[in-house]
Amino acid sequence: MTTREPNPEPNNPLGIDGIEFIEYATSQPQAFGSVLRSMGFVPVARHRSREVMLYRQGTMNLIVNAHPDALPRLSAPAAIPEIKAVALRVRDAAFAWRHSQDLGAWEMPTRASAMELNIPGIHGVGETLIYFVDRYKDFSIYDVDFVPLPGTDARPLPLAGLHYFGVVQTIRSDRTTDWIEFYEQLFGFRVLPEGKFFGILPKGTLLESPCRKFYLQLLEPPPGSDDIVWEEGLLRIGLGAPDVRAAVRVLSERGVVFIDHGAVQPTEKGALTQVYLGGVTFELVVSHLRPGPSA
Amino acid sequence: MNQDNFGVDTVSLAGPLEAKLQAVRESGFTQIMLSARDLVEHPGGEAAAISAVRRCGLRVTGFQLLRDFEGLPGHLHAYKLDIAKSLLGMCRALGSNVILACSSTSAHASGDPEVLARDLRKLATLAVPLGIRVAYEALSWGKHVNAIQQAVEIVTRADRANLGLALDSFHMLAAKTDPDDLDLVDPEKVFIVQLSDFMWQELPSREERINTARHFRVFPGEGVHGSEVLELVRRLDEMGYRGDYGFEVFNDDYAQLPAAFVAARARASVKWLTDQVSRRSLPVRRDRVRQPG
Repeated sequence: MTTREPNPEPNNPLGIDGIEFIEYATSQPQAFGSVLRSMGFVPVARHRSREVMLYRQGTMNLIVNAHPDALPRLSAPAAIPEIKAVALRVRDAAFAWRHSQDLGAWEMPTRASAMELNIPGIHGVGETLIYFVDRYKDFSIYDVDFVPLPGTDARPLPLAGLHYFGVVQTIRSDRTTDWIEFYEQLFGFRVLPEGKFFGILPKGTLLESPCRKFYLQLLEPPPGSDDIVWEEGLLRIGLGAPDVRAAVRVLSERGVVFIDHGAVQPTEKGALTQVYLGGVTFELVVSHLRPGPSA
Repeated sequence: MNQDNFGVDTVSLAGPLEAKLQAVRESGFTQIMLSARDLVEHPGGEAAAISAVRRCGLRVTGFQLLRDFEGLPGHLHAYKLDIAKSLLGMCRALGSNVILACSSTSAHASGDPEVLARDLRKLATLAVPLGIRVAYEALSWGKHVNAIQQAVEIVTRADRANLGLALDSFHMLAAKTDPDDLDLVDPEKVFIVQLSDFMWQELPSREERINTARHFRVFPGEGVHGSEVLELVRRLDEMGYRGDYGFEVFNDDYAQLPAAFVAARARASVKWLTDQVSRRSLPVRRDRVRQPG
């Protein structure tokens, strides 16, 4: 017989330790790669068997997936790059996967081929996945599935200290509490008190990861937007910068265009790029987070 | 309150799905409650059924039915979890944002409120990414949950935004629910109300309740508990419930009559209900309007 003590769950039951990678899917990998390079990401490795490229900048890993079955339930990626997965660093990926399912997460079919790593994932918002990765300290998942590009620095330094700050998630009206509970229950995220927000964009609802290394922002459709198509999904990533104005300067010199009028012009708090390839934006947010793996 | 507040459950009608959809629409309804059987029994397959529903122009107010989900141990829970996932997938494909889950009748189900709440919490979490709300209904012959106050207790304990209640007048009447029990209910937590009546004064045994529920329900206005059904609707209206009402009328006679005939009786029931509820609640509303702003 197993005796279970009625102790409360720890605040970080899965041992979440930041974002391991963010995955986009697109049928225009070259055009999107060009946008990413201007944002400071460097292509460092190519997948062994799929049309998938790994970009890196400082602590950020970003995957561009152009494979026809880019994600398990999809037939082919759309032209406009879309965020299709967020991989969380966790203490034990198998435990995180089981624990999430015990609480009501959907297991997602994996897509590993022979000799490739099987990364466990669950259903996230819209058609997106949440992956769990526990090999990120001494050994990297990319060592198995990816071939380094010759002549490139595998660890390119970040521009202006850029790092992952968060992900913006669109949700339908009156769904904020549903999603807060989803992230609280499964992962131990916490809602930040009202009034605490970052950047320059509409704040929605901010959730802090239990490791305090990144944020999720939930955005319901703005009032009076009945005629806007507002699907649930992952809208954009936020990049943290210790000095936003310096980051805007460096990125502008590389050809990145920031919106510079109205309510979202660059300030010391944040900035928003123009829309690229019909639907991709990047947000800069002032941040002094230290996103690297915990010791 | 008007006909747009009411819909018809497909279980109330006979015939192929397309005939049911057409009969409901042509009777002036704008919404419909669907069952999993509508999809799997369609001769063209599930995809054809989903296509017919999406083309018909009726709003889908709910999808039924997940049975005997909560409280099961071990492999029984794992089995029911698979069933729940399949039904949730069908619910989403239909564009319904409410799934009905009725309280367990299984002899294997635990009665521990914490276990029941834990399982419903899990079901609610499964439903979040699909944009679905779970409406939990106390069957009057449920093993451990067979009355409103018990369903309220479990839903409150589970404490999930997308988990609420389905109220069914049949079960409330059959269980002789005290109308004041509705005071326990937060109208925001009522996700759907199903209406029907029956022809007998009392259903003392479990077997009589089950038999009547499955074969001899009638529309409100046709049975002998009309005043109680009216009282239910009037109370919900006064409490501020502004959600959907559906007619769930399992009836062997209606199951062998044209869908248009039965849908017309549903429309007559709407008129009967709205005439009387409006007549009774109008003074209350008039008083509210008169209050200085």
